[in-house]
Amino acid sequence: MSYESNAHSPYERAIQRVPEGLRVYLAVLPVTALVGLFILYPIARAIYTSFFERSLLHPDQSTFIGMGNYANIWSSAQIHQVIVNTVLWVVVGSGIAIVIGFVLGWLLYEKLPYVSVASAIVLIPWVLPRVVGASIWQFMFSGSQGIINELLVQLGVVDDYVVMLGDPSLSLWPAIVGMIWRLAPLFALLTLTSFQGIDEHLYEAARMDGATPWEAFRYITLPLMRYNLAIGFLLMLIYNIRNFSMVWVMTKGGPGYSSTTLPVMIYRSAFVDFNIGFASALSVMLFVVLLVFSYYYIKVYDRVQGEF
Amino acid sequence: MSTETTDPTEEFRENQSWLFDTTAGVYLRKTLVGLVTAGAGLFVLFPLYWLVVTAFKTTAEIQQIPPTIVPQNWSLQGFSVVIESSIQAGGYQVFFENTLGVTITSAIDINVLQLVFNSLKVSVGAGLIAVAFGTVASYVLSRRDFRGKNVLMSLFLASLMFPGTAIMVPEWELINMLDLYNTHVALVLIYGAMTAPFVVWLMKGFFDDFPGSIIDAARMDQCSPYETFRYVVVPMARNSLIASFIFAFLLAWNELVFALTLLGNAKYTVPPGLLTFVQGFNTQWNVVAAASILVSVPVLLGLAYIQRYFVQGLTGGAIKG
Repeated sequence: MSYESNAHSPYERAIQRVPEGLRVYLAVLPVTALVGLFILYPIARAIYTSFFERSLLHPDQSTFIGMGNYANIWSSAQIHQVIVNTVLWVVVGSGIAIVIGFVLGWLLYEKLPYVSVASAIVLIPWVLPRVVGASIWQFMFSGSQGIINELLVQLGVVDDYVVMLGDPSLSLWPAIVGMIWRLAPLFALLTLTSFQGIDEHLYEAARMDGATPWEAFRYITLPLMRYNLAIGFLLMLIYNIRNFSMVWVMTKGGPGYSSTTLPVMIYRSAFVDFNIGFASALSVMLFVVLLVFSYYYIKVYDRVQGEF
Repeated sequence: MSTETTDPTEEFRENQSWLFDTTAGVYLRKTLVGLVTAGAGLFVLFPLYWLVVTAFKTTAEIQQIPPTIVPQNWSLQGFSVVIESSIQAGGYQVFFENTLGVTITSAIDINVLQLVFNSLKVSVGAGLIAVAFGTVASYVLSRRDFRGKNVLMSLFLASLMFPGTAIMVPEWELINMLDLYNTHVALVLIYGAMTAPFVVWLMKGFFDDFPGSIIDAARMDQCSPYETFRYVVVPMARNSLIASFIFAFLLAWNELVFALTLLGNAKYTVPPGLLTFVQGFNTQWNVVAAASILVSVPVLLGLAYIQRYFVQGLTGGAIKG
């Protein structure tokens, strides 16, 4: 009696009628269909819509304008500000989050007792609802009751309370600080896990061979953690460039466009200015960046895991 | 007495720098580490501390300048405003007046309990879809080789990177096309699609390590492939399945972008509802903080469970904890 003919229920007998080679596809079909319809199709759809002029108020009327939306992006007065903001947001935010995260991860591994309790506490900023995290920082940075202003006054950095969220030259920075607070724990946990994965004996051997702690770190820890850190780095970039809630809750991208990043710009174009075509063209810009990041993510992933 | 050293770590000590050898160096090092720990700890924990103490201050104390670091008198005013606002928005005032003789009026009409209920509905739905679809797929992806498998896995991995802001506009068009605008079903499906790839990767990691001998044993006992999966593999995978579910649940619980763009006010889930709350109450931060704490409770409970699986789930199994 063959294994395959062990069908014990009508449901299974129905499956048995599907040709052997196709049966595996039956199992992956639901999830593929779901992801295809709600994630991959919208990506294609955005590319398509980016060639049309279409308003959110009359979504059924659209005119083909070729590269018109892209030309509009290029000539738009705000886009330069938005690009500068996005680059600052991603580079400064991810950079500092990685440094703080790495230090935190090292402290968790090396210096702090009760690792599992401590790392759970460190993770709270990441798992809290994003609106909650953002509104705490909005309150702390607020001009009239903010603790950070009080701190700056006490330290003598400023003479009087500053309305940072309302000042065009400062408004992006509170959101960056909030984002670092949210992302650093994530990198800390990746670092901690990577440290835990390194065999203690390697350090012992290195010590016997006369390596200083710095050399052990440089020639054992870093090379072994290389791919994990690369994965963490790419995740930081991806989560950072995609983020919408931190800026939107704290400043709504304002005043003016002074704290608008690319995702906030997409939202404003589509749901404030009702210009879907323009918003889709901006989305395509974001796709290109995310695609590059994803490509490297999958490449690093292959290195870590070998075969899928 | 022999002059030879027998200590094998002698060489190691010679190579040390003054930072490790001299007393001054050791103190300097300890001070530095202490300062860094304190700084990093303060940065992570202070906002959380601030959230908690803010929730227990009175509105008058919130408006004091300079702010007080520890509440002068601990008060539940913030929480009671949240509850009153929920009762008024939910239309239960009459009930309270008739049965308890309490008159409840609130300055703002936001039903936080309703938001929590909506979010629970959406998050549980999304979690169930993601776990059901994802687990079946990951079992086959782990145990069989077939054409297109690597493409599919890469596609799932890449689809983790896009959701949220990058596809909010076409998602809005799609949901309107399907006539699902302003329904919770739309969010259940989208969140299910967003989290199912996570589940595929997490569960595949589990199934890859699943001992083949157990499956062989089930086969010897005349189990069909389905029965093996249902009665042998799934029960043993229980912990991973729960972790996957919580992952999907938390993602759905926290998601703002789609909830904001695809729902009207009346159907709001926690994140957009809380946003309205922040805007309505942002002179009374104690109320905002109280509401924030109430809606964060499920998240903290979930965190306690999934912590062990966190890194693996987050990186799509690239890094195993």
